[in-house]
Amino acid sequence: MKKKILIANRGEIALRIIRAVQELGHIAVAIYETPDKDALHIRTADEAVWIGDGPRCDYLNIDKVIGVAKKAEVDAIHPGYGFLAENPDFAKACEHSGIIFIGPPSDVIQSLGDKVTARRIMKEAGIPMVPGTENLSAGDHGLREAIDFADKYGYPVMLKATAGGGGRGIRRVENEKQMRAELPMARAEAKSAFNNDSVYLEKVVINPKHIEVQIIADKEGNTVHLGSRDCSIQRRNQKLVEIAPSLIQDKALVDKICETAVTAAKASHYVNAGTVEFLVDRDWNYYFMEINTRVQVEHTVTEMVTGIDIVRTQIKLALGKNLSFTQDDVHIRGYAVEMRINAEDPQNNFMPEGGKTVSVYRSPGGYGVRLDGFVYQGFAIPKVYDSLLVKMTVFGFSWNETVDRLLRCLNNFVITGPKTTIPYYVNLVQDPDFKRGDFDTSFIETHSHLINYEEQASEGNKLAHLIAEIHYKGENPYAV
Amino acid sequence: MERIVQGMGITEVLKIMRQADGYYITNTARDMSQSDYKNRILLHTDLLAAPSREEAGYFSLEITGGASVHVDILRKQVDPFLKLELLREKMPKTMFQTLCRGINLFGYRPYPQNVIRFVVKEFAKYVDVWRVFDFMNHVPNMQAVFEEVQAAGKILEPCICFSTGPEHTNEFYVKKVQEILDVTGNEIVLCIKNHGGLGSPKRIGDLVDAVLQKYPDMVIHYHGHNTDGNDIGRIVAAAMAGAKIVDASDHAFTGFYGPPPILSVIHTLKEYGRSAVGINEDAIMETSEVLQPERKYYEYFESQIKGFDPTVQIHKLPGGAMGSSLEQAAKGGFLDKMPEILHKELPKVQIELGNYWSVTPGSQILWTTAVSNVQGGDRYGNCSGDLKNLLLGKYGPFPFYQPPDWIYEKAFGPEWKKVLEEQGGMEAIEDIDIDKERKVLADKLGYAPTEQQLVTYLQHPNDAVNFFRFEEKFGRVYVLPPSILFRRGGFKLGESITFKDHSGKEHIIEMGPMQESEDGSETNVYLNIDHHQRNFVFENAVAQAGEAKAAKLSKKEIEDLAKAGDVRTPFTANVCEISVKEGQEVKAGEKLVVLEAMKMQTPVNSEVDGVVAKIVAKVGDAVQPGDELVKVTPSA
Repeated sequence: MKKKILIANRGEIALRIIRAVQELGHIAVAIYETPDKDALHIRTADEAVWIGDGPRCDYLNIDKVIGVAKKAEVDAIHPGYGFLAENPDFAKACEHSGIIFIGPPSDVIQSLGDKVTARRIMKEAGIPMVPGTENLSAGDHGLREAIDFADKYGYPVMLKATAGGGGRGIRRVENEKQMRAELPMARAEAKSAFNNDSVYLEKVVINPKHIEVQIIADKEGNTVHLGSRDCSIQRRNQKLVEIAPSLIQDKALVDKICETAVTAAKASHYVNAGTVEFLVDRDWNYYFMEINTRVQVEHTVTEMVTGIDIVRTQIKLALGKNLSFTQDDVHIRGYAVEMRINAEDPQNNFMPEGGKTVSVYRSPGGYGVRLDGFVYQGFAIPKVYDSLLVKMTVFGFSWNETVDRLLRCLNNFVITGPKTTIPYYVNLVQDPDFKRGDFDTSFIETHSHLINYEEQASEGNKLAHLIAEIHYKGENPYAV
Repeated sequence: MERIVQGMGITEVLKIMRQADGYYITNTARDMSQSDYKNRILLHTDLLAAPSREEAGYFSLEITGGASVHVDILRKQVDPFLKLELLREKMPKTMFQTLCRGINLFGYRPYPQNVIRFVVKEFAKYVDVWRVFDFMNHVPNMQAVFEEVQAAGKILEPCICFSTGPEHTNEFYVKKVQEILDVTGNEIVLCIKNHGGLGSPKRIGDLVDAVLQKYPDMVIHYHGHNTDGNDIGRIVAAAMAGAKIVDASDHAFTGFYGPPPILSVIHTLKEYGRSAVGINEDAIMETSEVLQPERKYYEYFESQIKGFDPTVQIHKLPGGAMGSSLEQAAKGGFLDKMPEILHKELPKVQIELGNYWSVTPGSQILWTTAVSNVQGGDRYGNCSGDLKNLLLGKYGPFPFYQPPDWIYEKAFGPEWKKVLEEQGGMEAIEDIDIDKERKVLADKLGYAPTEQQLVTYLQHPNDAVNFFRFEEKFGRVYVLPPSILFRRGGFKLGESITFKDHSGKEHIIEMGPMQESEDGSETNVYLNIDHHQRNFVFENAVAQAGEAKAAKLSKKEIEDLAKAGDVRTPFTANVCEISVKEGQEVKAGEKLVVLEAMKMQTPVNSEVDGVVAKIVAKVGDAVQPGDELVKVTPSA
């Protein structure tokens, strides 16, 4: 039966979900704030409802979203990632309004969203953990707890917002003096960002690999993993490049991590799709970090190597179906890499280029390339949202083939108007360490030379540039 | 009847020519481009003509040298060496000829000896015939070039520059030839360089005859200009008197101030019983058939005044300077004063300054002096730096007589005799450290330059760097025809342009719309390049309504400001040197800045003793009268 599904999100992920909804024969309802009035998700959805002037506040307004959903008589809501995706109150509000929330139950989001609760659950299930504290007490008492912990395990340590996620609300603390300064700031920041000022501490694992596992579970408790991803290439805790599967040579270790992820999911009574994140240190110890209770930006790489449509599966599970495949049906084949093509100027400290109009958009094609984007030629990038323009996911049968294809596809990509991360990635994919698969979370920092590029035009483009100038000036200014 | 081809040595060439019954032709394409098209004829056009020019059987194709090396990089954005390489591919047999200004090479003022030798060595790899001159006919000024050309085994063609007047006798010129031979030995081609197209056919015939009387084996190459419309007369007289090579060019492009048409020369001399050796007339016709459709794209660069100018016999401007002089007059708004300048002042200045040869850079000195005398009112009241150098004998000794004392007094003040005594005479220009210059250039470019790039840089430092950067940005633009490069008024929407780039890859460019951004600050030009859309963004020049442009200052106001230490630009120019640093103490009369206009350099000196407070101008700036240059705080 045709269902009506509201997508409580924007940008590329809204489009990604709309596609799955429409493929399943359901009706996609988009919502939008005013700055998104020209956005593609509105045109692509079957219905679109304006929810306010924004920016960002209306996409985050539970009452408004639920109100719109009720009025549109939707059966289910897919929250995407970010915004309300991991807000247990939103999931709860859906449940109370008789709307299906496409994701785990609100109490699972609640317990996994509280990092300390999550750690407790995992500890009980025997999952390896980075040493850390409970939620710190308020005031000076909390500061004492923090200093004592750091003294015991040694600096550096990470201060983390209990309600944080996606790389936000994290601070690295190198010494006691810094701890005294940072703790109140971290609390204030957590309060304003997540409306919850609890924070906790974790020991820092130096230059780990960031390995995560896609898990998926149905309401009967059938839980499978879809293999690993390596998301080590990050800039200030924001992922830039994601790879499936992990390039760790020791396959037994990777299998063990994946099995641990399934154990973790089961321990938390997980339903629907989620991601269990681990750190792997230089001695090949791995530690549980957290479970993300949403579809990840980088889910595409897993889809490419498993052939399983994660978003479709999410919807089917939420609408009451059970998993149609078992762990034995999941096969990992080849390698996939996703690069986040952002409207940012890498040479200007990755400053966002929002507000600019995409004057030319020409994307690569051919075998093994998948694009999840939402911009089009003539689209003015709103200043008020994030800078992700398009995710380019490239698949290859071997790692080398994938890397070759990445370079080819990047060279075929033309976006003018805003500066983008493309030329930076062109350097990155040619880096010998990257080509060898040798990287951890320090990669971007230790490969600062990747920032040195000149955007080299082809001879045809150079000559065209002169022709354009002759046209613009009405004469050749270099010949008069 | 033997054709002379590239690779033959001077001995063989001279032997063939001495035995030849008839004469040879040089196609002076470069001189035609310089005299009638302000040097703008593009390599693209020369490449179109190359196959038939190769078949035509010329003694040589004059295709580089003169001002063209500079204009190649400055206005045509083509590497002067790449040009020769590409032409050589299409013209393996034809000898390439250059025109070299001796110590001034392809520029306007003397270069150090080691630079001269370095430049000549590099060009000699491509250039077979070296026509070398000095505007004072001062043989030592040409010696370094002579030696390098001979060392490279190329054909040396020293010039005697020709002019008219009571001093310009056969006896004088024959003596000059001996001076040259004393330095070069007998294995040369001698050029009679008639850059103004002066004298009657009879006068030229007499001169050729006089030289041959004294040196019967001499191979004489007559070079003339058709400014008065009578060069064919002179060519015929020269050839009949025994000149073995004459200059002319393709009729599809002949104008008024350059060479006459080749075919007219051939047809005329045929009637006189002289035949052109090795020449294929069909190929000459074919060349003009190929070139004819291209001429319209060069219309903008043709002379401001059309028609032959028999008054050249009075003003003596060389053909190569006619176009640029008339252009300056048109742009400077004094075209109406041309009769006075050309027919009264210029001849007077010529006589006053020693009746030397009006050719680069001497012709520019005569011209700017005459213009400044007429425009400024006070004759010799504003002597250019180059005129002062001429008066001081820096270019060489005056050939006949020194200018009168009152001009020296105008130029150097009452103490002029002391100045002349202390500073007069030729100075040895110190060698520069070429390896150091190579490093400086590498720093500027961000990569190691080739030897050829270094050669170009040593001659024209600022323009060379700009050109190399231009190529990095816009590629090798010689592949574009004049219909594109010289397009005026933009392209039509949907117009499609096809061309092959330097590597031979074909491109198609389709013109799309041009759109201004919402705030009007920039303009997007859309193109389809090889069927892919692209845009180029240009920042619109903002009309600064708020900031009123600096009010135009009168000459008097500029002088008054200078006396207060506020040094302004006296005339439209480019800044070519800043001679002081901020904080430096200066004396009145000390050089602050050197400006360049009309290829002439003029120092701007401090009017006061004081300290340099601020330097406003930068080297390379184009400045207008009244623009701030330097501020000097006068000492109390």
